[in-house]
Amino acid sequence: MNILLCSINTLKRLYEISSVEVGQHLYWQLGGFQVHAQVLITSWVVIAILLVSAILVVRNPQTIPTFGQNFFEYVLEFIRDVSKTQIGEEYGPWVPFVGTMFLFIFVSNWSGALLPWKIIQLPHGELAAPTNDINTTVALALLTSVAYFYAGLSKKGLAYFGKYIQPTPILLPINILEDFTKPLSLSFRLFGNILADELVVVVLVSLVPLVVPIPVMFLGLFTSGIQALIFATLAAAYIGESMEGHH
Amino acid sequence: MANMIMASSRSLIRTSTTSPSPAPSQKLPISNHITLPRVQLPLLKNLSLQIPIPNTNQTLKSLSVLAATSLALAPPSLAAEIEKAALFDFNLTLPIIMVEFLLLMVALDKVYFTPLGKFMDERDAAIREKLSGVKDTSEEVKQLEEQAVAVMKAARAEISAALNQMKKETQAEVEQKIAEGRKKVEVELQEALASLEQQKEETIKSLDSQITALSQEIVKKVLPTV
Repeated sequence: MNILLCSINTLKRLYEISSVEVGQHLYWQLGGFQVHAQVLITSWVVIAILLVSAILVVRNPQTIPTFGQNFFEYVLEFIRDVSKTQIGEEYGPWVPFVGTMFLFIFVSNWSGALLPWKIIQLPHGELAAPTNDINTTVALALLTSVAYFYAGLSKKGLAYFGKYIQPTPILLPINILEDFTKPLSLSFRLFGNILADELVVVVLVSLVPLVVPIPVMFLGLFTSGIQALIFATLAAAYIGESMEGHH
Repeated sequence: MANMIMASSRSLIRTSTTSPSPAPSQKLPISNHITLPRVQLPLLKNLSLQIPIPNTNQTLKSLSVLAATSLALAPPSLAAEIEKAALFDFNLTLPIIMVEFLLLMVALDKVYFTPLGKFMDERDAAIREKLSGVKDTSEEVKQLEEQAVAVMKAARAEISAALNQMKKETQAEVEQKIAEGRKKVEVELQEALASLEQQKEETIKSLDSQITALSQEIVKKVLPTV
């Protein structure tokens, strides 16, 4: 009976060490509302990384660029290319939106995978990529929805709503449904990818911590980068779609 | 997790053991209802089940009902204990992230997209201008070359014309001088011829006189006796 208790106790301790905290959040109270503090903290770190690096590199642009300036020029050209391909000729005003979307999601995902967040111990929950929280991804998806509505309305006025009966009026319910499925799919695609990758890595590390998780980590870096690109491209595509002219 | 099951079973055992004891001391009318157990706030460790005193002949039935309700309530109590794994927990974080994203967009636009974008566009335009400028100056050079050739041709024509004219002039002068010289020479020739004629006549005349003299002398010599 004693031996049994001892083994049960060790098992329990091992279970606690290798436990995976899913859905555990650090709650702060703001007014009458709760917030997920770990998401806010990591998002501030991501914003700080983006702004500080941008300010430092773009301070004195040279005609023959330095390494950092060259990299940022490459990123800007890439974003402009994505916007131009999806939106068309009037892509200029939308570059900041698409670019910020891409950069925020990309740096969030890679910070979650690369930065050693575990060093900072939170009283409850843990720090990870801010995009592994449903609030972040739904916020970004809703912003994209607002953006493409704004694009369509500002370009076509109220004639924008003619697009709902566009090919044939029979497709009206499907077109309305599209306005709900677009943000839904955007948010869940990103959320699922990032959270699932984190979970897989954590579980593998807790099981076989030596070399086996490393390919999965590289896969995670790759897919999280692709997810950032997909989110930004789809956002630009929706904006372009709502701005495009008459058929 | 094992703790939870043990806790719930412990309370179950406790209530079942305590239930028969106060039964004989109660003289008040006994209601045979069983109140639903109260589940307290998640931070409490144990369930608290409150059950009024059951009749002794209904203990087994009440026990079974107790077991059923406690087992039915054990999962939510477990979830409450583990502090509800909240994956789809929407709260104020959502609008805060929206506001943060919009602020980040404005800041990045002011710091990165607009300045660097403008710089890149200006550089592109300058390079393009220089390239097209280079093409233009090569045409200019061709034009200038043609002009130079034309000017050279004109100059050469001028020179040859001037040369011809000068040749003509000098030739005329030369001919004139030659004519003058010839005239002079002719005049002198005539004069010389005239003087020669004159001298001839003079010599002939002198010769004539000399001839008569000579002939007389000859006659004298030849005819000494006379």
